Amino acid sequence: MTKYIIRRLLGIIPTLFIIVTLSFFIVRIAPGGPFDGERALPEVVKRNIEAKYHLDEPVIQQYGRYLFDVLRGDLGPSYKYKDHDVNYFIAASLPNSIVLGLISMMLALVFGISAGVIAAVKQNTWVDYTAMALAIVGISIPLFVISPIMQYVFAMKLKWFPTSGWFTSGGGWRSVVLPAIALSFSYFADVARLTRSSMLETLRSDYIRTAKAKGMRNSTIIFKHTMKGAMLPIVSYLGPAFAGILTGSVVVEQVFRVPGLGKFFVQSSFNRDYTLIIGVVIVYSVILVIMNFIVDIVYAQLDPRITYK
Amino acid sequence: MNIFKKKVTVATNEFNQVVVGNSLTKDAWRRLKKNKMAVIGMVVVIFYSLIAAFAGLLPIYPYDEIILDHQHLPPSLTKNAGELMRVKKMEDLYAKAWRAGRLVVTEEQDAQLKQWVKDNQNNKVWEFCYAEGEAQRAAGTFAFNSSEQRTIDRLEEKIATELQVTVKHVYWTNPETSKRYDVQKMDYKEMLELYAKMFNVSPQAVEEQTEMEIRAQLLNSIKATAPDFTDEEYAGMVEDELKKLGEKGYDSLASQNIYGKIVTQSRRVVEQELKTIVSDTDTKFPLKETFGVGNDMTAQVEASKKHERRYFLGTDYSGRDMLSRIIYGGQVSIAIGFVGTLTSVLIGIVLGAIAGYVGGKTDYFLMRFVDIMYGLPYMLLVIICMAVFGRNILNLFFALALVSWLTIARMVRGQIMSLKNQEFVEAARSMGASTGRIIFKHLVPNSLSVIIVYSTLRIPAFIMQESFLSFLGLGVQAPYASWGSLVGDAVASMTLYPWKLFFPALAMIIFLFAMNFLGDGLRDAFDPQSKNQL
Repeated sequence: MTKYIIRRLLGIIPTLFIIVTLSFFIVRIAPGGPFDGERALPEVVKRNIEAKYHLDEPVIQQYGRYLFDVLRGDLGPSYKYKDHDVNYFIAASLPNSIVLGLISMMLALVFGISAGVIAAVKQNTWVDYTAMALAIVGISIPLFVISPIMQYVFAMKLKWFPTSGWFTSGGGWRSVVLPAIALSFSYFADVARLTRSSMLETLRSDYIRTAKAKGMRNSTIIFKHTMKGAMLPIVSYLGPAFAGILTGSVVVEQVFRVPGLGKFFVQSSFNRDYTLIIGVVIVYSVILVIMNFIVDIVYAQLDPRITYK
Repeated sequence: MNIFKKKVTVATNEFNQVVVGNSLTKDAWRRLKKNKMAVIGMVVVIFYSLIAAFAGLLPIYPYDEIILDHQHLPPSLTKNAGELMRVKKMEDLYAKAWRAGRLVVTEEQDAQLKQWVKDNQNNKVWEFCYAEGEAQRAAGTFAFNSSEQRTIDRLEEKIATELQVTVKHVYWTNPETSKRYDVQKMDYKEMLELYAKMFNVSPQAVEEQTEMEIRAQLLNSIKATAPDFTDEEYAGMVEDELKKLGEKGYDSLASQNIYGKIVTQSRRVVEQELKTIVSDTDTKFPLKETFGVGNDMTAQVEASKKHERRYFLGTDYSGRDMLSRIIYGGQVSIAIGFVGTLTSVLIGIVLGAIAGYVGGKTDYFLMRFVDIMYGLPYMLLVIICMAVFGRNILNLFFALALVSWLTIARMVRGQIMSLKNQEFVEAARSMGASTGRIIFKHLVPNSLSVIIVYSTLRIPAFIMQESFLSFLGLGVQAPYASWGSLVGDAVASMTLYPWKLFFPALAMIIFLFAMNFLGDGLRDAFDPQSKNQL
């Protein structure tokens, strides 16, 4: 097991290296520089700025410098906001995104698993049909449609929640509800469908029949025996779900004006703020890679049938 | 040698009944037909695809025709644009009269109105003031003052008389042979002479003018893609661009430019002429006629009363018809969904098949690459690509197709690996079939059912990704539309103009529903054992 963990940790390095390299070079081969505003700068000023940000060096040297800085945890200065560097923006906005993402993930898991379990236990009843219809709705309605519609109905018409804002900027807990629900919706649907099918399969297996034959209580069978085995696909689904929630938070933060990383990402891609773009992508990738790593370890722990060499 | 010929024999069972063999596809089709939701989904998908494919033939307004008078008209089945404009104007006038204290309301109503203003719900204020004002005017307790009345009269005259004139063709008749030529199909020199005659100027002057305009046009397009160079550098780039165009390219640009001017001038002449007959009640609009525009030229035009248009789904911020924008937006979204899926599936099949069949190092490196790509937030990479390489449909399409072949490659690899050691492949190999033939003639067709099912489920995902980018403003750009960009445009002003959000969202949701049901149905049909899986 320890060996496996070490090998997985070593595997993270090329992934991160590739993401840094890819985003660095995509941005460098782009036409137009970061200082292309509407107003043309005098040649001298331009040269000075380029020297300040080391843009006058050969690309390979810039790349080496950037790799070295990233290793030290320095993501460089922002090209557009001259007073701050990228680390500052990320430190300010990342916690908000993490809170939003974790709450959504929890919502999706708690409600998705409950709905899936109930639907499987009451298979082919109206409970099952309702839950699965809701899941299909969740899968078919894109995030950027459900978010404004929820905002319109629950914030603007019914006024149950504020239309935008965040609890750190005085919005209270109510301001978290809509973004979190909107973001969790489609993952709720996936988790519910996965749980249901995996529960149904496990319920049909021999050891459950044995448990029933031994006269165990139904609730014990469901919670202790079936669910333990049925949770494995959910765990392996967590990896892609985290990736989706990261990407999705870009939309939700845009619609509900949450001061998170995703909003910065969209802004910086409009501004051509290269260091900020790459910085955000690196942070997202690190989160994702760590999450995938944790998921793998948990999976290995849960399923004794898997042996890692 | 008849082993290569298919032997047709009729199988019979012990009761001498004919037994017909059932292919996998036939069996799947039978199961699919039993699944009601999947059939409904299929019908909806076909309906959408037909509408998208034949959008050009539908009797709808052009999706990019801007009529500023028709900004933000609400959807209406009964009222035409003119009536809606009138209501809008009256609402505005009544609301102003209320603010000035001339439209008298009870104290409670007054408080309510003020609350609405405070809550930024101006549409409720307008609605109320309109109802109240109309009632009071009918009862005689409120009357417009003279300047308001004048505004209304002017608007009504405008609604009654303004025309939308579209020039379809301009013809030139040779006075000697009286043969008619389509001006658009003429070459540059001939067009130049016609134009010079039309405006009574020398052809040289026109030529110079055109060249200047084309240079300006090129400069603008260069500046848009590559900002921030010095003027001299720009001048050099324009020269390069002109050289690249060559004489033929230049002539076609120039003739487009001149043709545009000829059309504008013809429209002006026709509009003048029509002004005199618009009040004539005998003329029926819309009309389709040919008018002489001077100098042996005739213009075939379509004219309709501008404000008699009907917008069933309302209009957007530039007065464009939402119905046609949703249809054309759907065309873009659906096309990107289908073509993008097809591209990514093709890439996935080729790479997956090679990895699965060849195995060894090729397989190892391809699959490690896929693993690494899986670990990346690749939608973010797509966003970077869009931000960096420019936001147009083609870039969007490539960026998405390049990252979405991963799953299909893995799936095809798995299928091929399980198939490649079976007897029929060995037989093919022993008969000397090449690797390419074995892969694409034997292995791929045998895993086709898996591929079809996956592709159907992939299309809605692709459409969602495209719309996601367009929603953020990083995908399809105006005047083109996609469902995502329509929703994105609507979000900022959805309290005032909710129809801009709901109709595109609804159109999109219905399609995605149908697509998902169809995909699920196909999966169940091809692989009945998977019925209860995700």
